Amino acid sequence: MISPLRVWVVAVNTVRAAIRNKLLYTLLFFAIALIATGVLVSTLSYVERERILQDVGLSAIRIFGAGIAIFVGVGLIHGEVERRTIYTILSKPVSRSEFLVGKYVGLVLTMWLQLAIMTVAFCAVSLLYGAPITAAHLAALLLVAFELVVLVAVATLFSAFTTPMLASLFTVGIWLVGHSTRNLRLLGEQADVEGVRFATALLHRVLPDLSSFDLVVAAVHGLPIAAAQVIWPMLYGVFYAALLLFLAALVFERRDFR
Amino acid sequence: MAAEQREIVCIEDIVKDFRPGFGLRRKRVLHGISFGVREGEIFGFVGPNGAGKTTTLKILMGLIRPTGGRASILGHDVRETAFRQHIGFLPENPYFYDYLSGREILDFYARLSGVAKRTRRERVDRLLDWVGLTGAAGARLRTYSKGMLQRVGIAQALVHDPSVIFLDEPMSGLDPIGRKEIRDLILRLRAEGKTVFMNTHILSDVEMICDRVAIIVAGHIRYQGRMEAFLSTDEHECDLVLQGLDPETAQTLEERFEAELRGMGDRVELRVREKNLREVLERALEAGASVVSVTPHRVSLETVFLNAVEEEAGRR
Repeated sequence: MISPLRVWVVAVNTVRAAIRNKLLYTLLFFAIALIATGVLVSTLSYVERERILQDVGLSAIRIFGAGIAIFVGVGLIHGEVERRTIYTILSKPVSRSEFLVGKYVGLVLTMWLQLAIMTVAFCAVSLLYGAPITAAHLAALLLVAFELVVLVAVATLFSAFTTPMLASLFTVGIWLVGHSTRNLRLLGEQADVEGVRFATALLHRVLPDLSSFDLVVAAVHGLPIAAAQVIWPMLYGVFYAALLLFLAALVFERRDFR
Repeated sequence: MAAEQREIVCIEDIVKDFRPGFGLRRKRVLHGISFGVREGEIFGFVGPNGAGKTTTLKILMGLIRPTGGRASILGHDVRETAFRQHIGFLPENPYFYDYLSGREILDFYARLSGVAKRTRRERVDRLLDWVGLTGAAGARLRTYSKGMLQRVGIAQALVHDPSVIFLDEPMSGLDPIGRKEIRDLILRLRAEGKTVFMNTHILSDVEMICDRVAIIVAGHIRYQGRMEAFLSTDEHECDLVLQGLDPETAQTLEERFEAELRGMGDRVELRVREKNLREVLERALEAGASVVSVTPHRVSLETVFLNAVEEEAGRR
């Protein structure tokens, strides 16, 4: 039975570690700088400047969000084992699963905090440039937040049993493939070979469908966004992350900390 | 009285195998070890580097799963979690979140251990005072010396007022003053009724403070028992310091009683067997010497320890 209180204590400490880490401020600075460069990029065009500005801004948020999540997430558990900080924590009445989930929740909260700061920067740049902020933009940002929920879970899973280097490779791989699984399935459906259709459909089901979290194009171009396009990915993200954490906990429970 | 004390840490036939690398053969590091720690004692777990001390302690802390056997603390299997509010642990060369201050880290561990909010602040302050860190309580841990970190380690192990405390090489890397401070802290813990399990290879510390000891060599327990019983042998010896003993008598005593003779200026020191002491003394006094001191010589833990290591090497 997982104690929400102990999970929360670990999570809050993880957030505190991030707040006191200068490196994250540097990454955040670059993210905000990239959002602001949307202004420069948009000046290269005579048309749809606002859209270009916001496209660059939202894309910067997605890429930097994913980058920071992977960068921090892959060392999330490994670092605790390497530095042996986990020894004293697990000697307290804290289960391995509580620790793992606490670290995960802490990193998700950290990512959401960074996302909130980047969102403020995005809104500020947009409003200064006269580009309107609509509900569609906010929906797109909300789904970025839930894409991070999945991505941090992927990084946590790999961090639970392998080195940051390998975890980075695996997580970046999943991130890249995760944005293509839907297209892969659509391609597979056109194939004549049953095996190809089955394999692409399986990949789409097993690997995260990260393209379902991408509403940037729709938001920037003012395309209609149905409520289901927001709610379903959110639910999907939460369940997928829960499944990954369950697997991570299974692996983590069996580990020896030598 | 010791025999009546219950064993609260039980290791029964613990086996641990490690696989050195992927595809490599498993290596056995613990070969079915068994021992117990009694309530209220300081227990020394002694062995050379690589003997299996830390592995055993990690099994007790649930950090490593045993391949076979059973380990329990306070009647609970070590794989359980809830009972850990009754135990404290100081790892070897502890590392803590160095972005936190001394007070923050203790508060963090107190929260994890479920210490109630109303008592947490008071408990943390009392412990900071107890380990002498009140003045540095607000400073980040990255500014602490090794000795200070060791004291933080002791404090975090005690923050939830556990009844059994496990210490892995608590004097490791400390200067003589730091070592004495830690020894005094451990003795204070026993005085407060706590049980202390201590992993170490510093034998003099064990001799000074431990009630009972177990020696592990190459994953086998070679000796265990009370310090007094452990150190006594059939061959008791005494160091006898004499003044004014003429060289001729000294040489006679050395040859006749197989005594070890050492010159110390105008004094001589003779190590003699206890059964020969009376006769040696009488002869020395008859020869006009005066007695400076008679000190019973204990077989040191080091001797027993080295014998155990040599025996193990002989078995291989």
